[in-house]
Amino acid sequence: MSAVFSIALEHLWLSVAGVFLACVIGVPMGIVILKIRVLAGPVMGVIDILQTIPSLAMLALVMFFFGLGNMSLITALFIYALLPVVRNTFIGLTGVKSELLEAGKGMGMTGWQLLWQVQLPIALPVILAGFRVAVVTSIGIATIGTLIGAGGLGEPIWRGIQLVNTPMILSGAVPAALLAIIADYSLGLLEKSVVSRGLQVKNTN
Amino acid sequence: MTKTRGFLVLTVLILVLALIFTGCSGGDKAQQENGKVVIGSKNFNENIILSEILAQLIEAKTELTVERKQNLGGTMVCFNALKSGDLDMYPDYTGTGLVAVLKQPVNTDPQEVYDYVQKEYNDQFKIKWMLPFGFNNTYAVAVRQETAEEHTLKKVSDLTPLTGQMVFGAEQEFFNRPDGYDGMTKIYNMKFKEHKAFETALKYQAVAQKKIDVTDAFSTDGELITYNLKILEDDKKFFPPYFCTTIVRMDTLKKYPELEKTLNLLADQISNDEMQQLNYQVAEKKRDTKDVAGEFLKKKGLI
Repeated sequence: MSAVFSIALEHLWLSVAGVFLACVIGVPMGIVILKIRVLAGPVMGVIDILQTIPSLAMLALVMFFFGLGNMSLITALFIYALLPVVRNTFIGLTGVKSELLEAGKGMGMTGWQLLWQVQLPIALPVILAGFRVAVVTSIGIATIGTLIGAGGLGEPIWRGIQLVNTPMILSGAVPAALLAIIADYSLGLLEKSVVSRGLQVKNTN
Repeated sequence: MTKTRGFLVLTVLILVLALIFTGCSGGDKAQQENGKVVIGSKNFNENIILSEILAQLIEAKTELTVERKQNLGGTMVCFNALKSGDLDMYPDYTGTGLVAVLKQPVNTDPQEVYDYVQKEYNDQFKIKWMLPFGFNNTYAVAVRQETAEEHTLKKVSDLTPLTGQMVFGAEQEFFNRPDGYDGMTKIYNMKFKEHKAFETALKYQAVAQKKIDVTDAFSTDGELITYNLKILEDDKKFFPPYFCTTIVRMDTLKKYPELEKTLNLLADQISNDEMQQLNYQVAEKKRDTKDVAGEFLKKKGLI
């Protein structure tokens, strides 16, 4: 039981690591394509294409650069997480009503202040929704990491498939599903808690 | 208020980043560490059992510690990892080396194939093939016993006129290899109604449950016994013979000179029947790979 627990923890760590990297790079990327609008089409296009690469192929490709092990898996998860993170950042930011921006400008806010104090707080729930999707997806994809020597819950799942051993498959699949549910639920709570108070009042209408 | 929150988010991000990078620095290349070899295997039972046999043999006969990376995603993952030094060795088949890696046409003389892949691997990749384990694993075409009886199938050619109503299923790799689906359907002039890819272990269930009618099999598979499948004779000699043995990086052999002698203890030690039996023990008797491998080595007096 404790073995399953530690594998599950490792699984969670791997999944979240990839998505966090995607946030660190993806959120600024979303801001950049908001500011330099001509880049939006090409950048989203490339990210869309990356998303369509089948996961095993992606792992094999990434393996060329990072070799066997966790680093390759994290990199692949990072690439997959870019789409929801960048897209939601971009959509969240562009969705801010123009009258709010005008109001901010009218108050004498600089571009940075507008971004930091108006646009980002309003877009935050949407950005977090992207993060949430990315984490849940990553937990799923990470189960094939075992095929390139990464850790996580994939091992009992794949070994169980080969041995046609259902309990072994479940010992990986059930914790993975639980992880996804817990992550989804707790990130949902986080999503609610970060909405600024002003917007929350509006939401109840 | 927003400012403090911003800082908080930033701090968390930095912490997580730090965690990621410190966490990943553990993934050093195999050779950099002293006294350790990394043994890989592909993602099917036979290869995993063989890699476990290698691992236990090395642990028993040398001072080296062994890291196992079993269950890697197929030939290309293993081979690239071996080339790049992430792995020191894994068990492979000469036919796979010839056709899948070196992209050479099929050759049915096992000794010729062995000599050829030995030379090319040495020169091109600095990888050495140990002496063959003894068994000869090759692809085979299998159908349900009842299908064979119903249509009086003996040879693969007998199947050709029936393929229009049949579904073929195999593991993904079979569809991607020249000595797999494409070559087979061309040589035997087959046109299956449909073809499907499965995880290796599931294709036998798929045949038994009539989801598919024909599948590829490895001649040493233990499941052939359990699922009562009939192997059809490869009458056009399409599938090349596959000796199986360990392939090892030459710099690993140089670094640990005792390895080569140890690995060659397995030369001619595993017959077809023995391999099938080992596969059967794991796949069908649900026994632990480690136990089965250890028992085999003890029985052979190798450990």
